[in-house]
Amino acid sequence: MNKIGLIVEREFTERVRKKSFIITTLLTPLFMIALMVAPSLMMMKGGSSTKNVVVVDNTPGQFIGSKLESGETVSFRLLPEGTTLGQARSQYNSPDIAYGVLVIGSDILDNPQNLQLILNDASSMSVEDNIRNQIQGILRTERLARYEMDNIDRILADANVRVGIQTLKNNGQEDEEEGMEATSTAASWIMGLILGMLLYFILIVYGQQVLQSVIDEKQTRVLDVMVTSCKPFDLMMGKILGIALVAALQIVIWAVLIIGASAFIMPMVMGDTGIDAAMAAAQSAGDTEIASIVGKFTNVGYLAGLFLELLLYIVGGFLFYASMYAAIGSAVDTPQDAAQFNGIIMMPVIVAIIVMMNVMNDPNSSLVFWCSMIPFTSPIVMMARIPFGIPVWQVAVSLVVLYISFFLMTWVAARIFRVGVFMHGKKPSWKDLGAWVKMK
Amino acid sequence: MDPILRIENVSKTYTGHKALDDVSMEVPRGSIYGLLGPNGAGKTTLIRVVNHMTIPDCGKVWFENHEITSDDIYQIGYMPEERGLYKKMKVGEQAVFFARMRGMARFEAIDKLRQWFDRLGIIEWWDKKVEDLSKGMAQKVQFIATVVHEPKLLIFDEPFSGFDPINQNLLKEEILGLRDRGATVIFSTHNMESVEEICDDITLINKSHNILSGSVEEIRRKAGGNTFQVIFSGDRERFISSVNGKATLIGDSEGLIGGYTQQKIHIADDSDIRPVIGALNENVNMRSFQEIIPSMNDIFIRAVNGTL
Repeated sequence: MNKIGLIVEREFTERVRKKSFIITTLLTPLFMIALMVAPSLMMMKGGSSTKNVVVVDNTPGQFIGSKLESGETVSFRLLPEGTTLGQARSQYNSPDIAYGVLVIGSDILDNPQNLQLILNDASSMSVEDNIRNQIQGILRTERLARYEMDNIDRILADANVRVGIQTLKNNGQEDEEEGMEATSTAASWIMGLILGMLLYFILIVYGQQVLQSVIDEKQTRVLDVMVTSCKPFDLMMGKILGIALVAALQIVIWAVLIIGASAFIMPMVMGDTGIDAAMAAAQSAGDTEIASIVGKFTNVGYLAGLFLELLLYIVGGFLFYASMYAAIGSAVDTPQDAAQFNGIIMMPVIVAIIVMMNVMNDPNSSLVFWCSMIPFTSPIVMMARIPFGIPVWQVAVSLVVLYISFFLMTWVAARIFRVGVFMHGKKPSWKDLGAWVKMK
Repeated sequence: MDPILRIENVSKTYTGHKALDDVSMEVPRGSIYGLLGPNGAGKTTLIRVVNHMTIPDCGKVWFENHEITSDDIYQIGYMPEERGLYKKMKVGEQAVFFARMRGMARFEAIDKLRQWFDRLGIIEWWDKKVEDLSKGMAQKVQFIATVVHEPKLLIFDEPFSGFDPINQNLLKEEILGLRDRGATVIFSTHNMESVEEICDDITLINKSHNILSGSVEEIRRKAGGNTFQVIFSGDRERFISSVNGKATLIGDSEGLIGGYTQQKIHIADDSDIRPVIGALNENVNMRSFQEIIPSMNDIFIRAVNGTL
């Protein structure tokens, strides 16, 4: 035990002291935030220059073209009645003069597809959206006018209902207020997806580190020195636990950063009233989903509970996978040789990812349920299910199965490891590995 | 004295290749034991068997009068031929780590290691990373890491490879010192000069068999086979007639500068050499009379070629 501790200490301190660890630990949350913020920033900042579009309107009296309003995105210039497309194209033929020519068909009122935009430049989503929306609005008004009814706008607005479901979770308590917690399918799914992917990332990245670490030691022959100072099992467990600690530290730092950000920085930036206002605005817009997401991410207790479950699955899932990786690392001499075995390990992980995507449709379907119990897929799938509100017994059973499997897998891996570390040369076959497990 | 290590009829077969075939040997306590043999003879396999890294197909290894167990490896210091150190780790920390792995307390380890580093002249490398060291430096670090916990049995695989003559000498001195302080040392090497200088006993392995075992002195004397070299001036015929019946000539005589002649003779194994010397002394002017003791190099080559 003492030796495992020493090996854990070495693995941990060596890794944590590396610059790459410090950088990834601090930059990953920043990177993730950037990833979320960047698209909206780009939407806001992008397409800054106003596009000039000339309009050939073939409708009687140019009643469409005359109603197009120029704005920040597009500036319209209506050509005199009778201008043909050919004339317009030859006159406005370069991006410097005009972004494009919009041709409105004479029968547009009855045939709303009769609309062409001939571009001199690369197409732009915002320009197309702007034109489509404006013309849609004009056509709608025109068509409504045909019915010659008073107040038709108001009637239509009144009939246009948006339903928002406020999903609540019955948690069994009697009290009306406390007995139900707000949930949201979309919010849960996004949450689950993030958690599932995080787990996937950790299993793969840190599992590979175990594999790499064993292969490195085998190549540099440090392994020869190590196994004459400790039992192979100590070495394997030391490595796995050391790297697990590094992973745990990283998660905890991320958790603190994210919880800290949601507990202090977000209220600071938006102000308490800001968050309430955001939620109120979302709710009034009928968007209970967004309100629920905002609500969840600012609920420190909820986040902390989630991180605890995440940590348990990460530790269990990681130990389960890492022992497989360690066994493979011990059995081969080079990363190339490891690739084939690696592929086999990856398969259940990929299955888990696919199943995870199905969690939203029905977080309680039998496929999803069983995949969240089988240790090969349970960490990822269960983590994706948890935000939907899963009975505690299911989480408990799944964790127990996972931890028992981890012990079994470690036992098998240790038996392979204890032979593998001394083997050099030929890449072993599956049969060899089986024989090593049985070897006395 | 009872042997610290006894190897009994050990065999080991890898797929389609017999690495060790019925090898036995005994390592006397407190000796320096050379494990010799051509490349691929099975030396490293034998070392791995002793280190419990390879389990033999049959045969037994006894350590301190009991069959060796995996717990015994902590009393064995092993320096593999292909040196293994963590490249990215600082030298001192690494040495402390290995020392602690072998059961030393941290402060005791630091203390002892600093003494060793000082003695081998690498103390200023304590805080450097291993990847910044030269090969010889790394070897020294590895050597220290192997011996610092003062194990009863030390096994060095090719300890001198990669060292310049000055450092080779330094290392020899240290190995002798370790023995004098009570350790038993086994090392495998191709460097026969070092065997002559420091080994008490040897085993020569060739093609997975133990073909020669014993004390270096005895082996060399035996291999010499009572052969003597005589350098003299005077009549060659008288030389021949004076040794006639007492010794046989080996090869032709050789003229040397200054009118001297050199001749090798063989004296029957159990006979006295004094009559030969007496007769020669009367008949020729004898300059030197010397037993020919073959070098370990010769013995090695002859043994491997089967002409010993």
